[in-house]
Amino acid sequence: MKQKIPAQSESTAPRAMLATVARSEAAHVGYYVRGFPSNVLRSLLALGRGLVASRNLILYLAPAALLTLVFFVFPLVFILYMSLQEWAGLGPSTFIGMKNYEFLWQDDVFHTALANTLSWVFVGIFIHTPLCVLVALILARQPFMWKFFRTVFFFPNVISTTAIAFLWYFVFHVDLGLINNVLKAVGLSGWTRPWLSDPQTALPSIETPFIIYIGFGMVLFLTAISTIPREYYEAAKLDGASDWQQDWHITLPLIRRTIALQCLFVVGYCLKMFEYPFIMTSGGPANTTMNLSLYIYRKMLAANVYGLSMAAGVVTLLVGLVLLAVVFIVLRRFEKE
Amino acid sequence: MPRVFRWSVLLLFLAITLIPFLWLINASFKSSAELFANPFGLTSSFSLENYFSSFAVHPLHIYFRNSVIVAVLSTLLALTASVLAAYALLHRFRLSRPAFVFLIFGLFLPVNAFIVPIFFIIHSIGLYNTWWGLILVYAGISLPLSFLIIKTYMDTIPRELLEAAHMDGASYHRTFFSVILPMTMPGIVTGAIFLMITAWNELLFASLLTQDETARTVQVGIRFFLTTYSANYPQAFAATVMTIVPTILMYVFLSNRVIAGMTAGALK
Repeated sequence: MKQKIPAQSESTAPRAMLATVARSEAAHVGYYVRGFPSNVLRSLLALGRGLVASRNLILYLAPAALLTLVFFVFPLVFILYMSLQEWAGLGPSTFIGMKNYEFLWQDDVFHTALANTLSWVFVGIFIHTPLCVLVALILARQPFMWKFFRTVFFFPNVISTTAIAFLWYFVFHVDLGLINNVLKAVGLSGWTRPWLSDPQTALPSIETPFIIYIGFGMVLFLTAISTIPREYYEAAKLDGASDWQQDWHITLPLIRRTIALQCLFVVGYCLKMFEYPFIMTSGGPANTTMNLSLYIYRKMLAANVYGLSMAAGVVTLLVGLVLLAVVFIVLRRFEKE
Repeated sequence: MPRVFRWSVLLLFLAITLIPFLWLINASFKSSAELFANPFGLTSSFSLENYFSSFAVHPLHIYFRNSVIVAVLSTLLALTASVLAAYALLHRFRLSRPAFVFLIFGLFLPVNAFIVPIFFIIHSIGLYNTWWGLILVYAGISLPLSFLIIKTYMDTIPRELLEAAHMDGASYHRTFFSVILPMTMPGIVTGAIFLMITAWNELLFASLLTQDETARTVQVGIRFFLTTYSANYPQAFAATVMTIVPTILMYVFLSNRVIAGMTAGALK
């Protein structure tokens, strides 16, 4: 049993009394009408006294609450409201209803941005995450130097995405790039191409560094696997199950929640993904690598259409909510089985 | 899974992870001519010429100063707010559950959707293109995760200690400073590592909220080595290496703590 301690025991008794009084008062809504205004004043006084009693609480919560209000609550309300306005940043805004959303609905660049963001999520969940699981399964058996591999695989996560995007820009570089030069060296010169400026290969190319940086998910899975009781595997071994069968029938079902968690991270990561398109291709060629993040940024900085930028932000939030719900629904399906 | 398959997977990922970095470091010592003539050969000289000359092209040292100040102060601010709030929530009160949800609901929001309002908040309080603008924004957007890290850690402190402190007549503040704060220190260090690395690596808000050397951070700075006319690649590589050295050093010496720090928010 978890025991909880009241905020301030010295003042518990009067506060509890106040709470009881307030509750019984609230039970009779009519009271507020009949005895107006003295009763309201009395309630306000009671509230005030309650606040004074919990001033420590307020004092300690204030900085965090203030930051949350300023950087999450206010922006959320602001973009919901201002996405219905036409606003150039200076001067008053004009209410235009759903016009911004209608524009997005018809804008080809926005369609590409949305489709590309979903493509990031897709490869994140169906290619990146399975790779994380695969490597975690291998390292969980603690092969020779497994700690070294774990450390190296996690390493890109501490490097800025800017630097990694910059680095992979050169991996795909036409003349200097590792890829084209390796292709030439093995006699496949026909396959070389300007990867990042060819509309066909630009998107897969900028998604590559994300797909193969597996460290974060790998650590999540390794931690989850380490909590599985060893007896399960020993019992399976006695029954003659191979390593592969053990992984498939014991490990995978038991880390399904961590897989769901990883999918949530992938969704969050992909919705915020900005550096790879921004640095490797600037959204080009011909907007083929545009994504939601970059679209919001462009509409704000380059085009000064703030209402539109915020409408795109609202769509991003909605996409996030839908994907969140999908992950939870799929997880629940698996839990039931 | 057969042994061969396992080892080829491990070695493949090892190569993919390390080769680009080794190439970058090697290329950062070359001259432009050497780079184009022989992009993969070992550099002919390990001269630090590019490292020194890159400072002359763009004021990297100023970008470094800005990045350090912003990373350290935003970490301090976010941690202070998180620790205070987590302590308040250690006590039970009527709205403690809603208060907890209120403080972490931002975890699920993609903050890049908020760049317009955040830009205007910072602009309207006169903090555009200043350290404090970035510090406030970083502290604000990383608060849900840092609060969760600290709260998770604080919840592992035995409740008896809180009761004992109370029995001994320690006040609300005294209990915080003498009992809870010292015991939360490992959690705070974990949070600090995570916050410093994320703040150092942030690009979107850094490019949105800065304009010139006054506040521009290294992540924004290294981009200029590529976009300026007549870009000198090896110089850009040298600059990039320098910007990733601080986090690499942190990782080399504290790899287990860093891994714990970066995944702490996820593992609870």
